[in-house]
Amino acid sequence: MVEPALNAPETASAKPGSTATLEAASPMRLALLRLARTGGARFGIAVLALLLLLGTYAPFISSEVAYVWHDEHGWRYPLFTDLFNRWSYTKRHDLLFNVLALEAPFLVVACLVLGRRMKIGRLIAWSSAIVILSWIACMLPLRKQGDDWRSFWDKRAQAHATIQDYQALPPDTHAWAVFPPIPHRFDATYVGAVLAAPLDRNQETGHRFWLGTDTGGKDVLSQMLFGARISLTIGFVASGLSLLIGTLIGGVSGYFGGWVDMILQRIVEIMMCFPTFLLILTVVAMLDRDIFKIMMVIGLTGWAGTARLVRGEFLAQSVRDYVAAGESMGLSRWRIMFRHILPNALTPLIITATFGIAGAVLSESGLSFLGLGDPTAPSWGGLLEQGRENIRYGWLIYAPGLAVFLLVTALNLLGNGLREALDPKSTT
Amino acid sequence: MLAYVVRRLLLMIPTFLGILVINFAVMRLQGFTLAEQMKVESGKGSEGVASERKVQGASKNVENYIDRFRRAGNDLPALINTRGFWTKADVVSTLQVAAPAHGVRSNSGSRAEKQLWLAGHFAVEPLYQVLADDALKELHPAAATAFALCAYASVDPGNVRELSSVELNRIQSLNETLRNNRFDSIADPAYAAKRKVLMSVYEDPLNRTAFAHSKGKAWKALFVETGFTDLMVKLFTGRLYSETHKEYAFTLIGERWYISFGLNFLSIIIAWGISIPLGIRSARRVGTLEDRATTNSLFLLWSLPSFFVGTLLLHHLCTDTSHGAALFPNRGLSSDDSMWYSTPAYLLDLLWHATLPLIVLCYGSFTSLSRYMRGNLLDQLNADYTRTARAKGASEDAVIYGHAVKNSMLTMITLGAGLLSELFGGFVIVESIFSIQGLGTLLLDAARQQDAPLIMASTVISVGLLLVGILVADLLYAVVDPRIRSKYG
Repeated sequence: MVEPALNAPETASAKPGSTATLEAASPMRLALLRLARTGGARFGIAVLALLLLLGTYAPFISSEVAYVWHDEHGWRYPLFTDLFNRWSYTKRHDLLFNVLALEAPFLVVACLVLGRRMKIGRLIAWSSAIVILSWIACMLPLRKQGDDWRSFWDKRAQAHATIQDYQALPPDTHAWAVFPPIPHRFDATYVGAVLAAPLDRNQETGHRFWLGTDTGGKDVLSQMLFGARISLTIGFVASGLSLLIGTLIGGVSGYFGGWVDMILQRIVEIMMCFPTFLLILTVVAMLDRDIFKIMMVIGLTGWAGTARLVRGEFLAQSVRDYVAAGESMGLSRWRIMFRHILPNALTPLIITATFGIAGAVLSESGLSFLGLGDPTAPSWGGLLEQGRENIRYGWLIYAPGLAVFLLVTALNLLGNGLREALDPKSTT
Repeated sequence: MLAYVVRRLLLMIPTFLGILVINFAVMRLQGFTLAEQMKVESGKGSEGVASERKVQGASKNVENYIDRFRRAGNDLPALINTRGFWTKADVVSTLQVAAPAHGVRSNSGSRAEKQLWLAGHFAVEPLYQVLADDALKELHPAAATAFALCAYASVDPGNVRELSSVELNRIQSLNETLRNNRFDSIADPAYAAKRKVLMSVYEDPLNRTAFAHSKGKAWKALFVETGFTDLMVKLFTGRLYSETHKEYAFTLIGERWYISFGLNFLSIIIAWGISIPLGIRSARRVGTLEDRATTNSLFLLWSLPSFFVGTLLLHHLCTDTSHGAALFPNRGLSSDDSMWYSTPAYLLDLLWHATLPLIVLCYGSFTSLSRYMRGNLLDQLNADYTRTARAKGASEDAVIYGHAVKNSMLTMITLGAGLLSELFGGFVIVESIFSIQGLGTLLLDAARQQDAPLIMASTVISVGLLLVGILVADLLYAVVDPRIRSKYG
């Protein structure tokens, strides 16, 4: 039986050239080696990693609040407390990335230390579990304040440590502070800076808007950084959801066969026939525009292709001997389906998932572009919509458009690389 | 051949029905959103002692919401309507949840209350019985509100032209009476009088036919008066009414569908006309620099989002700069004064306007089409029959165009049908970028304004056009593939 995909040791991808790994190579290791040799896939992974890094550390790059503030009362670190301020970060996914930003260095060190002893799949699973659990913990009422229980992610008074506060200090005060390189908030509107060109200065603080501002006087670069968070979240959550549904439906359909298969296949056919973007458009139109609802809608409508694919794989696998062996041993059907068949059918799933992320990102930006996105979230598509409305202002078109293009290209290159690496038979 | 067409058509019926069901489910979603809004806006309607005017304002609000529910068909249960069988006891138990004698109303209470308000004429008779019963005095205020809202007659703007003015006046005075005779507590000095007026509404023989229960009506309502049948009847009789445009949805679509259809049709033809030769060329020069260059640049093209490309084209080619006037027009499909043009000039004008939209519509399908063509043709060129053809001395062109291309077209047509549905999402974006007044912009405006009937109608029409496209692809398949022709005679 083939090992599940994620169980391949990290060394396979870490040392692409060494012959020692080649000798004891499992198919998955060989595939990862092939992947690491593809230029396109490398580029894709690099771009994804860069966007993830920029998105995660967006508040450290672009925020009005100081990292360090020193005055006669002593030292303060307002940016770090601001990460959990619900006035500053109103969306749940922002909180998730803030938690990730704080925990990532420790997790990376831990992974490097444990990397020799644990399998990479385990490490990834444990790290994401830690991040997600601490994210949930931040939203639960665990902190006692006075008589009532509050969550760590809470509406607190502003820190009075913004760049405006700093510049408003009388000249004789002995205070100094370090600010992020872009001292602008992504959702703050700056007076007198509507549609400022790139490199124009903020009238209040004198700092540059590196990519200009939008129609509301918000910093474009800052919105781009926080938009990366949205695109990445949408991509992973929505395609994860459609992967889950597609695997369930396709697996049941392929393994059980008979009338279950027939009914499920009719449903899949209908979903395939319905133009996905139209469906998403109509559903989103009927709901109030919340980023999580949009995610759910994209996930719930995009599973038909996956289901069809998984069904085919399950059909092919279910006649194999190991399935018969499992059945004769009295294993339950679900166990056979998801512990034994699924790992063998994982290859095409990983490939479609990669393309699915790209599709979800495109759907979300398309929706925002049409003005049906979450109006309170700084989405790339939303910026591009402003560019469409103010067609002469090129920076509102190039910045978000190139960002979407880059992310989608990276994902498509990665998917292509995965296809070539995991499925050597394919010619096209 | 006829048998094949009929078979294909029959297979489409369940798909179309499924799409109607999905559409219906989406329409029902609006019910939740509306219910949320209703909760916010009518919150104070039935609590505390409010002034007369405040109560009236709130009731007007609630009536507006009930109107919106009714017009979208969201007041009716989705699939099975058992409201015709409601008895006094059922309504009393609902009222007890909605307005408990002592204590605070719960969330489920307000939900029950709203359910009752939306029940329409089905709940009028049992509510009348509650009002007539002196033993249930505690429930009378809630029952009176529910009675007034259930008996409230919506005037559907879609049907208003079919009503006579006498009828319209009667309905309006009835609504007025109902609105003015609600009471918030039994302590209301006018309680007895108002109760009498409300009861007289039911006792009026003119209203009685609409409100009174009967076994036949209840059984008929069970399956006929449901949200689904209501919507289907409206859809198939063309009675879906768009409130934002003040017009029947199909009239609006009739003015615009051919624009979207024409653009899509042209873009499909262009996409095929360009990508198939590209694919053939790549396959013939497989492995060369040219092949790799084509494949890679098409890959990049594939990753370019159409909304980005469209906006870029608009930014660079459709705006006047200091260097001169714009190369292409930035909106619509014809110039403002095009009606005065001669036919050739008109056609040229149309072409000039349609160039950029067509480019944006079709470039996305180049990649997949030509890639499949290339792969397919490569497979065919390695097949046995190609070797035979070469062995017998056929020229390379004859081998490729006479044998291999013909065979790979089969797969291409099947693929084309699948690609249609991907293409179909694109026209909304393209029409919105270039401000083309087609089906896409209609759908988009409807979506922005939550105009449910118009959304329903335009998605059904779009999907209908798509199904026609798939049918055409199937027919083409039969034309190309002799096996199908011989199988169906």
